[in-house]
Amino acid sequence: MSDLSPIPPEVSGLSPQEDVGPPTKGGQRWFFAAAPLSEERFFLILAVFVGIFSGLAVVCFRLAIEWTGIGILGPAPEPHNLRVLLAPALGGLVTAILVVHLFPLVRGSGVNQTKAALYIFNGYIPFRTAVGKFITAAIAIGSGHSLGLEDPSLQIGASIASALGRHMDFSRDKLRLLAPIGAAAGLAAAFNAPISAVLFVIEEVIGRWSTAILGSVVLSAISSVVVVRGFLGAQPLFRIPALTVFRPAELLAYIVLGIVGGFAAVVFAKAIGYLRPLLRALPAPTQYLQPALAGLLIGLIGYLGAPQVMGAGYEYIDQAMHDQFTWKILAILAGLKILATTLSFVTGTPGGMFAPTLFVGAMLGGAVGGVERHFYPHLAGTTGTYALVGMGVLFAGFLRAPMTSVFMVIELSGDYSIIVPVIVANAFAYFISRSFQPVPIFDLLTRQDGLELPSLEELREETTLHVEDAMKSPPAPVLNSQETVHHAVAQIQGSASNLFLVRLKPTGWTSINREVLQRFVSEGKGDTTLGSLLASQQLPYLHPDNPLDMALRYVHQTPLVPVVSRADLRKLEGVISSEDVLAKYRAVVN
Amino acid sequence: MRMHELTLKPFTSRRPAVLAGLTILAVVGFVGVGHLVKRFQEQQKALARHLYRQGLTEQQTGKLELALEHFRAALDYDPDNFQYELSLARTLRDSGRTEEAEAYLISLWERAPQNGAVNLALGRLAARQEHIDKVIQYYHNAIYGVWDSDPEQNRLNTWFELVEVLLRLNARPQAQAELMALSASLPPRPESAMRAADLFLQLQDYDHALAEYRRVVQLDHTNAKAAAGTAQAAFKMGRYRTAEHYLEIATKANPHDAQIADMLQTSKLVLQQDPFSRGLSVQERSDRIHIVLKQAGDRLETCMPASGAEANVPQQSNNLSQLKMQWVQMNRRLRRLGTAGESGLGDEVMDLVLQIEQQTTNCPRTVQDQALLLLAQSRAGVEQ
Repeated sequence: MSDLSPIPPEVSGLSPQEDVGPPTKGGQRWFFAAAPLSEERFFLILAVFVGIFSGLAVVCFRLAIEWTGIGILGPAPEPHNLRVLLAPALGGLVTAILVVHLFPLVRGSGVNQTKAALYIFNGYIPFRTAVGKFITAAIAIGSGHSLGLEDPSLQIGASIASALGRHMDFSRDKLRLLAPIGAAAGLAAAFNAPISAVLFVIEEVIGRWSTAILGSVVLSAISSVVVVRGFLGAQPLFRIPALTVFRPAELLAYIVLGIVGGFAAVVFAKAIGYLRPLLRALPAPTQYLQPALAGLLIGLIGYLGAPQVMGAGYEYIDQAMHDQFTWKILAILAGLKILATTLSFVTGTPGGMFAPTLFVGAMLGGAVGGVERHFYPHLAGTTGTYALVGMGVLFAGFLRAPMTSVFMVIELSGDYSIIVPVIVANAFAYFISRSFQPVPIFDLLTRQDGLELPSLEELREETTLHVEDAMKSPPAPVLNSQETVHHAVAQIQGSASNLFLVRLKPTGWTSINREVLQRFVSEGKGDTTLGSLLASQQLPYLHPDNPLDMALRYVHQTPLVPVVSRADLRKLEGVISSEDVLAKYRAVVN
Repeated sequence: MRMHELTLKPFTSRRPAVLAGLTILAVVGFVGVGHLVKRFQEQQKALARHLYRQGLTEQQTGKLELALEHFRAALDYDPDNFQYELSLARTLRDSGRTEEAEAYLISLWERAPQNGAVNLALGRLAARQEHIDKVIQYYHNAIYGVWDSDPEQNRLNTWFELVEVLLRLNARPQAQAELMALSASLPPRPESAMRAADLFLQLQDYDHALAEYRRVVQLDHTNAKAAAGTAQAAFKMGRYRTAEHYLEIATKANPHDAQIADMLQTSKLVLQQDPFSRGLSVQERSDRIHIVLKQAGDRLETCMPASGAEANVPQQSNNLSQLKMQWVQMNRRLRRLGTAGESGLGDEVMDLVLQIEQQTTNCPRTVQDQALLLLAQSRAGVEQ
């Protein structure tokens, strides 16, 4: 019996067969009769198509970014090259014009827009957004703005799913869910990591787990990754070096990394949170200039000797993981990337935060590891190991997706030996980030945009009331179905209560009040057992750990709902009534 | 948008039809994107080729950092290219970035574990890291692996290189085992036999060195280096007659080689003074023993410290004084050479000569002394 359906099918009167969709027309026994294309099944198949189309779109998106990059920056950006100086400014200007005049909804990362589609707009994301995001993000990232392609891919996927879904005959709930399904597909395709994408969408966008959602999200993510790998190959975004076996004594080193990463995440989030509303409040004509000026500053950073901070920067993450930079360079690159990404993002340039977060994390991880090994040369962790843990740390601290951060590192590295340092470092980063930046970055951006979306971090950590918090002791005595009416009347003689619970055989509960018992006696049924008189009137029951709001569904059906043990359904733990539920809610609110 | 939705609704409400439509759309999408990807990859590959060529030029001129940049960029644009990745890995290794080089090479090895070039590169990397087990493993993989061109020569070179690497890493037993296996499967070419012989000589496996040098001489009678090698191996083995023969050939080919000249002179002296040569009469043997003892005595006199210098090296002085006493006693006994009960006197003389030579290492040694030492050592070796 599922936790979510406390009434057994035989009690609720529903047979299991009635839950599989509409019956076939005329009892035909051909293919569709054997497997009717119910909304559930159709939805799952559609999720696969969403994945395929999202995968195709992301392949094109990646090609567009590459082509733009080669066309504008040249095949290998080098310092002291005028193209490097001017290309991001030009890209910013073009992007700004497109955003202001044609695609006003494509600013920023895309995660919030997908959440808004789910919670506010019934899953609706205009297809124009996908087109706009594709073009503007390709220009911005390709020209060297410090942004990633993951969040735009997520929005493109969501937009494709929304466009497909709204032409279908789906329920509103299904329509709403299509956007996150597309989001998972887009993110998985861009990241080449389906597990992390699924977890991120569930953790950060949908915020709840259910088999129906999980199945669709997984199917779409896998389909999109298969498509992308089919076209672009199965290479990971960066090569993972041989990781050193973790030694417990080194945990301190990773804790230091978690603390440093946590503070870096706070600085990053605070900078964005502070500058974004300031720049948005400036007069409208500056909207054209802001991305261009940001681009010029980023170009200047590249021109002066750090072209690594331009674009998504995955190739430099790869190099950092393989000891290509000294710890000083790594620390400088981490700082410059935070600056460059903040500039790009707060000016409304379309693009994502995932890649910059990973970049900053990898550089910071490598730098912290380098410093630690400088003072403690016996530490076994390589730069690659620290960089990998650092990526997870920033992901947990900045994007505030702790579960995704752990699984992302494992999925990218394919090595479980690193899990302990990752969990420990991420926990520290998450704790520090929460302490100094209570509102997660995506929630902060949403609120700055004037939307009130549910904060999934708050939801995750919200105290849930359970039935056991409101239930009371059962009214004595508890009657048994084998007892006769006379015996029951004798038993309740001394009781002040009017309503009594009856334990049925073999399982089940019902109730009877004093008047009904008296009536049975007057009708001459005194020697009849309670079971034979009440067997058909079974009550729904709850368990102590069920959420309290579940009790609300049943307390109106009967004055008392029995609360029984999961281990023994005949063992009564307590009873709950509508008054009990309301009293508990009132107590919590007050 | 609303009009659009209205027109699509009758179609989209029929789910099998929708799925068929989506399938067609997906197929069209696959074809279109496939076309784009193909064009993209062609362009990327052309760009990669250009960058790779630049990298090769820079590598050849010793600009490893620039070469690395270009190889990296080439690989970014053509990530599946085996050759680019191998070149990048080799350049990384040559510029001392062993960890990164290893990551690339391991990734290549996982793609083609039988590839000779990759295994060789991994073997060289292991040699840099002085991991002897890995060296042997990867070099063996390379020797028995697949080579794109000239597999026989590549395998042979790799095998020779393995021996050289093991020698450099001071893994002499492994090097000797590899070299013996290699020499057994060498093609009948003088240069291969010569290389093997040189390595045997380095390994101080003079027996095999001599055999290999002789093989070279058999294949190429005019090879002066082989003659010198044969002579050297024979000389080291104490086969001075053979050494003399080949040294004379080598001297004719290279009359200004001082080392060969010295060896020849030493060999001649050893042969002239050896009291245990076969075919000597009793008198000749006796004369030679006398000469040898006298020369040892002369060396002892020459190397005895002056009276003023004794205080500085008291131990050595003490040793030499004892040897002098022994020498005097031996000289007296030598008068009874040939009498009954003195049949082992020759060997005792040679033992004393050996001790004298060993105790006078600080003293400059002439060719004569060298010959004396070799003679004594040779006799001691025979006894053992």
